[in-house]
Amino acid sequence: MGISASDERLVDVAYIVEPNPPKNVTLEIQQPEDGKPYLWIKWVPPTLADTASGWLLLQYEVRLKHEKAVEWEIYFAGQQTNFKVLSFYPGYKYLVHVRCKPDHGLWSKWSEEHSIEIPSDLNMNDETTWIFVAILSAVICLVMVWAVAFKGYRMMTCILPPVPGPKIKGFDTRLLETGKTEEFLTAFGCQGFPPTSDCEDLLVEFLEVNDSEDQQLMPSFSKKYPGQGVKFRHPDRDNDSGHGSCDSPSLLSEKCGGPWANPRTFHIPKVIEKLENLEANITCTWDPLNISTEGKIFNFHTNGSRSSTWPLPQPSQHKPRSPYHSTAEVCKLPMGPKAALATVLDKSVKDALKFSKSIEIGGEEKAVKKMEVESFPAKTEQDTAWLLPQEKTPFIPEKTLDYVEIHKVNKDGALSLTPKQKNSIDQTEKPQASEISKEYVKVVRVTDNNILVLVPDPRAQNKEAPRSLQQNQAEKDTSCFTATPSNCRLHLGGSDYLDPASLTHSFHGQFE
Amino acid sequence: GSLLLLLLMSNLLLCKNVASQPMCPSGSSCRVSLRDLFERAIILSHYIHSLSSELSQEFDAQYSQGPEFFTQAMSMCHTASLSTPAGKEQAHQIHQKDFVILVIHLLRSWTEPLSHLIIEANHLPKAPDTLIAKAMEIQEQNQRLLEGVKKISKLVDPEIIDNGDYSVWLGLPSLQSNDLESRLFAYHNEFRCLRRDTHKVDNYLKFLKCQIAYDGSC
Repeated sequence: MGISASDERLVDVAYIVEPNPPKNVTLEIQQPEDGKPYLWIKWVPPTLADTASGWLLLQYEVRLKHEKAVEWEIYFAGQQTNFKVLSFYPGYKYLVHVRCKPDHGLWSKWSEEHSIEIPSDLNMNDETTWIFVAILSAVICLVMVWAVAFKGYRMMTCILPPVPGPKIKGFDTRLLETGKTEEFLTAFGCQGFPPTSDCEDLLVEFLEVNDSEDQQLMPSFSKKYPGQGVKFRHPDRDNDSGHGSCDSPSLLSEKCGGPWANPRTFHIPKVIEKLENLEANITCTWDPLNISTEGKIFNFHTNGSRSSTWPLPQPSQHKPRSPYHSTAEVCKLPMGPKAALATVLDKSVKDALKFSKSIEIGGEEKAVKKMEVESFPAKTEQDTAWLLPQEKTPFIPEKTLDYVEIHKVNKDGALSLTPKQKNSIDQTEKPQASEISKEYVKVVRVTDNNILVLVPDPRAQNKEAPRSLQQNQAEKDTSCFTATPSNCRLHLGGSDYLDPASLTHSFHGQFE
Repeated sequence: GSLLLLLLMSNLLLCKNVASQPMCPSGSSCRVSLRDLFERAIILSHYIHSLSSELSQEFDAQYSQGPEFFTQAMSMCHTASLSTPAGKEQAHQIHQKDFVILVIHLLRSWTEPLSHLIIEANHLPKAPDTLIAKAMEIQEQNQRLLEGVKKISKLVDPEIIDNGDYSVWLGLPSLQSNDLESRLFAYHNEFRCLRRDTHKVDNYLKFLKCQIAYDGSC
């Protein structure tokens, strides 16, 4: 015997109610005067649904599309029995359906289809809005045009800063323009032009290098100078000449000790740039500045017309030149012009101080000041004379010219520098004879721009000189303290004063 | 003698008028607040019922061991003794304040069972967190709705008498039985009854709103 009754099914009436679809669906196009036209859909609940008493609560849903559309747009209408459609395309025929469901029940079927033809000439746009948008965009365009027109230049300079040119600090172009080469050269510390035979001797001596290749370079080096030229960079450039690390004026001034501070302090906008260039050239080595720089200086500002004679304030110093490579000389070139300029420029100390502060790149104002201060007294000495503004004497009094050479590098990066003595190398006595208080410069730190911040190191004075002198010969370790040798090289290459190739060669020779 | 009679007659008339008039006549300010109270109550009751439906369906989905597994679990709800209108016509015949008292009775009857359900549900094997969370939410909203309907009752009839009656719940032992199947049946039944009673409350309140706050036609 089977079972004639099915299994029990649990049904709760409240959840299985499916009402009839809404009735009397009407469609209208309403066009209020102060608004957009809309499609107004109205309906009534199904017959048996008693929503008035509240016993049954119905919620409605509307869907519509125009004849050629594929998908329906479905809108939930809540408990209201009308619905406004605001977005539609004029000129189309629209189809509308409505359905309902109890609050906890099932959806009814869709009502009958009702359609409406929307007139084509319906004005859907809101003119006021468009006028407002047009005015706003016009105003914005005007503002932009004005901004570009009036501030375009500034913006362009902001976006594309002009390419800076090389500058030589302390270099007075006016002197050059007026043709007063004598003053110009004296500013650089040259004793006279053309250089004397002593200079030539010194130059030759100076060109001696330990490495064979250096030797080869030297002659070409000197030769190149007159030929090359001196494309002297016009100082009328911006201050930010894109020099490398070796090029910072601050670096130069501090490296060379006190004297260097002074040229920078001179507030000569145009000259400064030139000086900076020169300084950059010097970065690396500390070899006898006077000789190399002066010689090169001549080459610089002579526009290639001068020979490569080297004015040598202290010829005797160059005997033991072997340790001094050409690179050192090259590096020292910039110093000469600067020194010369410094003397030429007759500025007050205050100006100098101000300027040093303003130009100080490394931010070592203290050091600069210190150097300045020290340089002042030093002017009487042989060292830093040429950097002092008050120094009326030319840069190249034999005694005052002082070249600093790097003879030792401490492990903490301190440069032990000795001024180049007029004495020959084999002199072991202290350079006191020349009343030169040796000035040693200590590298305090290396700044971001690869600038060596130097501070005079008084404790090393007069004590290490003899040692350093002796060691100078032995050591070839006149290293460039800029970030890399390549920096110097790059810098030099850009200056046109020196032959980059020769410089690099000498550098390489040095660092081997 | 005739004067006394006149006074009596007038008193009777007055009393009759007073008695037949709802305490919140149309046009008075209390009518507006009554509508607001009803709207809020309906929002809560609708929400509570939605949660109860989900709770019941989740439980069945989680613990059902076959189609119609829980059919045999059907048993009387503890609120079955409460006489509730079967349809709209019967609903019209109930006095409004009685209707409100009925709603309060239903709401109060679920206060204790809900708290026990939440505690015991933690001991269900693999009880989903959403299950217990929903039960807790229902409990909280139920309390709020109870407070709201009490306020409505005061507005409907200031002298309404709330005895504090409620249906007593005796289903705790079933929830704690050692037999898992019995326990599951007990839970299913409780959730089913909760779903039905919350639907009744929701339905009655929506009806009463139209009757009391909108004069019978929403």
